[in-house]
Amino acid sequence: MAAAAPAGQGPRWEVFKQDAAGKPHQAVGSVHAADPEHALLMARSVHARRPAAVSLWVAPADAVFAVTAEELEAAGPWAVEDGGPNRRFLAFRKTSHRRAMTFVDHVGEVEAPGPRAAVAAAMVAFPEPPALTWWVVPADDVVASPEEEAGAWFDPARDKTYKQQSAYGLLAPGKRKRVEDG
Amino acid sequence: MSGSGDLDPTVREALIARLTAMADDELILGHRDSEWTGHAPLLEEDIALANIAQDEIGHALLWLEARTALDGSDPDELAFFREAGAYRNVRMVELPKGDWAFTLLRQFLFDAFETELLARLARSSHVPLAEAAAKAAKEEVFHLRHSGLWLERLARGTEESRRRLLAALEQLWPYLPQLWQPLPGDAALAEAGVVPDPAELEEAARGRIMAALARAGVEPPAEAVPNPGGRERHGEALVTLLIDMQSVARADPGVEAW
Amino acid sequence: MSRPAPSLDERERLEAFEARIARGEKIEPGDWMPEAYRKQLVRMIGQHAHSEVVGMLPEGFWITRAPSLRRKLILIAKVQDEAGHGQYLYHAAETLGAGRDELIDALLAGRAKYSSVFNYPTLTWADVGMIGWLVDGAAIRNQLMLAQCSYGPYSRAMVRICAEETFHHKQGKEMVMTYARGSAHQRAMAQDALDRWWWPSLMMLGPHDSDSPNTPQLVRWGIKTKTNDEVRQEFLDEHAPELMEAGLGLPDPALRFDEASGHWAHGPIHWDEFWNVVKGNGPLNAERLAARRQAHEDGAWVREAMAAYATRERETA
Repeated sequence: MAAAAPAGQGPRWEVFKQDAAGKPHQAVGSVHAADPEHALLMARSVHARRPAAVSLWVAPADAVFAVTAEELEAAGPWAVEDGGPNRRFLAFRKTSHRRAMTFVDHVGEVEAPGPRAAVAAAMVAFPEPPALTWWVVPADDVVASPEEEAGAWFDPARDKTYKQQSAYGLLAPGKRKRVEDG
Repeated sequence: MSGSGDLDPTVREALIARLTAMADDELILGHRDSEWTGHAPLLEEDIALANIAQDEIGHALLWLEARTALDGSDPDELAFFREAGAYRNVRMVELPKGDWAFTLLRQFLFDAFETELLARLARSSHVPLAEAAAKAAKEEVFHLRHSGLWLERLARGTEESRRRLLAALEQLWPYLPQLWQPLPGDAALAEAGVVPDPAELEEAARGRIMAALARAGVEPPAEAVPNPGGRERHGEALVTLLIDMQSVARADPGVEAW
Repeated sequence: MSRPAPSLDERERLEAFEARIARGEKIEPGDWMPEAYRKQLVRMIGQHAHSEVVGMLPEGFWITRAPSLRRKLILIAKVQDEAGHGQYLYHAAETLGAGRDELIDALLAGRAKYSSVFNYPTLTWADVGMIGWLVDGAAIRNQLMLAQCSYGPYSRAMVRICAEETFHHKQGKEMVMTYARGSAHQRAMAQDALDRWWWPSLMMLGPHDSDSPNTPQLVRWGIKTKTNDEVRQEFLDEHAPELMEAGLGLPDPALRFDEASGHWAHGPIHWDEFWNVVKGNGPLNAERLAARRQAHEDGAWVREAMAAYATRERETA
């Protein structure tokens, strides 16, 4: 991990949020935190303040290898790492230019000796629809929120209806009688 | 099992007092935590601590609403129009916020006690109290993780963080026992199964706190300390706090709505 | 300052880049972009992030003083959101290569700008409602427009911020409408808040188009899709009639509805004050930055402790 100034903001961690069981984890942004456990607590505080969420993953930003379709095209023949043992990588991709709140979605896992090879493997394993951006992250670098505490971490946000705009209904100034003075 | 309507009058009075005390703890602690908004060491922690403050004020409302069901009192009336002498929070929560070590250690001590208290209240014979406690207990899981994390990081961070943590511990330790000190009416409540046995609760809370301190490599201070007395005793810190908290509401006491 | 003419290769790249934007494609970190595009975005996004973070202070002041438990909860949620918005925006700036340490240093050293509107004081509780109704109302208009931005991370931050900001606007409106219909004291407080926040809110939408040299380039690159005056007009048409219907008076004797165009027209804006505040001479510029500097300095030992703990954990792992 890159060394950070001691009193600085600390390293960055990419955050992935799963909205509901069966849906993929999605990149929602990042947090600054010093260590993985802190990063998870901060991820919940920053990115899960409103429903819905059932799981969070964090990974050091430095561990994420990102490449866009444009970069792949410009690169020409894609040179991959050769030799060395295979490691597990989590693969994420973006497949649409549609306006959205989240970036890449988790699509699955590949085994490869390095990130460039992992991207190549992901393109083969998950060819459709074509990805606009690929992210690959070593599985060992991804830390998950504790499953057994999912209720405690994520349910309370549902009850705080006062921070949902729907709690305020239709607001028309209307022609109401003023409360008399005094 | 009891609902709001079918309590013995002595038990009912005792429960009103207990709910008020718990609500006051949460409201005053929430106030102190919310003083950090915009001033925390990291943007993410600003959000985290504000969320915790929000939860605590939410818990205060939970307890006050449970009291409303018993005596028709109004939570805002209780919060904004009682003088310091009528508040029933423990001294520990009204102490000024201090530095990050003081705030987070105070939070940890409170969270550790709350975790044990709420787990037991969730089994209360009084159903509305059990339900409120179960709800609060859920949020408390995250609070304890967060304050526990800071206990570790401050204890095992730098020399300066450890020094500040130990100074905070010295300051807070005398106030700790007041958290589990029973209220006058608690005996009747314990007998009715509304609240847990105080001795057992104290043992569990102490045990949790001691274990956490040991894991963090921190020695607790010596035990012989002055007793802060009953919950009706407060310091000037609470007076200043309430002047702040109540000023807008008191400037226009008769309003229909804020 | 003259720049060397772009090489053929660079011109081709620029054409391809602009064609992507015209097709509605999002530019993502890693894609080729003109240096001017990157620089404009870092400036805009950074300013936006700083505004959110500084904006926590005037409203945060009233959290401990909120007059009901419900309002207190709502305000804590709102201020948390603002911190969150700053957080999403710093993230977007970081994807363009600007580190958060540098961005914060620039703000605290007084080198970075933030929205002038937060240099005005919140003098009463009603100011909190007025900020929600007007300032957040103006911000939403702007942010809805920016959600269409060509740069992916900024667009995504805007979409999320818009979703959360609607609650801010509504709760502010609800608060002010309640006070406008409330006690004499509440009504006076609401009117006084409007008298002080109306013009700053109009001005926060930026200088007149004739004084905004950056705008055409930003429009071309899909960073802005409407001009300042266009957004200001939308804001005025929405808010002027609603405020008046709520029973409040607008501090603009020249305000009138133009039947022909179907739009509201406002009186002249006093731009001297705006520029003065933008340059840092606003009522609370120095105080806001001093508060942020204090928080940053006070927190140094905490961040050091976090880093030391993490290093030790990694070494003993």
